Amino acid sequence: MDWLRGLVYAFYAYVLIGWVLGGFLAFRGVNRLDPSAQSGTWGFRLLIWPACAALWPLLMLRYVRGHQQPPIECTAHRQAAGREV
Amino acid sequence: MSVGYGAVGWNRQKKRYDFFLVLGIALYLGAFMGAGAWLFPDVTAETLMIRAFGSAALILLHLILLVGPAARLDARFLPLLYNRRHMGVTMFLLALIHGSFSVLQFHAFGDMDPLLSLLTANTQWDSVSGFPFQQLGFVALIIFFLMAATSHDFWLVNLTAPVWKALHLGVYVAYGLVLAHVALGVLQAEQSPRLWLPLAFGFVLVASLHVIAGWRERACDREQPEEMGWVKVCSPQDIPNQRGVVVTVSGERVAVFRDDQRIMAVSNVCQHQNGPLGEGRIIDGMITCPWHGYQYLPENGCSPPPFTEKIPTFQVQIREGSIWVKSLPLPAGTAVEPAVWGGES
Repeated sequence: MDWLRGLVYAFYAYVLIGWVLGGFLAFRGVNRLDPSAQSGTWGFRLLIWPACAALWPLLMLRYVRGHQQPPIECTAHRQAAGREV
Repeated sequence: MSVGYGAVGWNRQKKRYDFFLVLGIALYLGAFMGAGAWLFPDVTAETLMIRAFGSAALILLHLILLVGPAARLDARFLPLLYNRRHMGVTMFLLALIHGSFSVLQFHAFGDMDPLLSLLTANTQWDSVSGFPFQQLGFVALIIFFLMAATSHDFWLVNLTAPVWKALHLGVYVAYGLVLAHVALGVLQAEQSPRLWLPLAFGFVLVASLHVIAGWRERACDREQPEEMGWVKVCSPQDIPNQRGVVVTVSGERVAVFRDDQRIMAVSNVCQHQNGPLGEGRIIDGMITCPWHGYQYLPENGCSPPPFTEKIPTFQVQIREGSIWVKSLPLPAGTAVEPAVWGGES
């Protein structure tokens, strides 16, 4: 029971941190991670906020590492071709 | 296509579609609660709302799951596929209201934290009749949240389509959890088949349509044999003008298009949402994805400026009256000279 209580409080902490960092990412951080977001509307930023809050570790990692472009998807053909031009 | 992100990509058709979606849901909720209050006057308004929103979400979830295979089997369902995203987000909102009312009614007014109460109030995991079905619904709701929250092109681009699709395949896990949630929950007390039958019918319909659609696509996914690094596709006249055919090469489908006398091949996977480009058409000289209208120049696999998407291309030859595609793809965005066919278009 205690472990479950700890899990629930850890979940609340994750959500709280995510809400704050997610807000930063949605309104500022994504401009650096994806150039197409720089001209994004307020509505767009509000819509992506919940997922920024849920996926904040992934986005923060990219932000801290200085990524400035979205990743390129990995398909069998792209792998076989080897590289982009 | 991704130059700058907006909130919702509405157009006239999508607005009409959303109008009918909201209208249908409002009519359903009104009819359910009206009939429920009349037939079962002892039932509280909260209970009616929990059941109305839950059943509406369940019906919408079935429709969402049916749209994909139905569109594979019959192109007339494609307009529903284009608009499935709004249906999915709406379904999540209905499920969220159902879940919120349930937590309020059953877990919010005790001494215990509501979430902790939800997780610990019933722990009869070894009992069928008393199984803790609410936990199943909670996990399904978390999956639906992740799917709804990432239902924006920004997430498709930044998670990449394969990761995004893998995340959204979680709908099948959530569907299983929801079926168990309903079967082990509200239907436990149901003696007559009037509620069991629609649930079983829905499951059989969803499962059978998926099996049929998968079976029909099986032949298309069979890897074609190579001859000296080239793969024979078909005769040029087998491809209708400004249309494509699909063949599997190098572990993935290739779309081979004919535009009058010119034959060109690109990877079948649209960079936007991995839509099947080979089922699209050449419009204004560009391959147009049937799902969301993303476009690529067939000569180099690049989206027209200012867009930046690009897909792998393939060398193409016409030998002895047949189209041959080089088995090794070229890097995304590589220009390729189209093969020219001398036949009549």
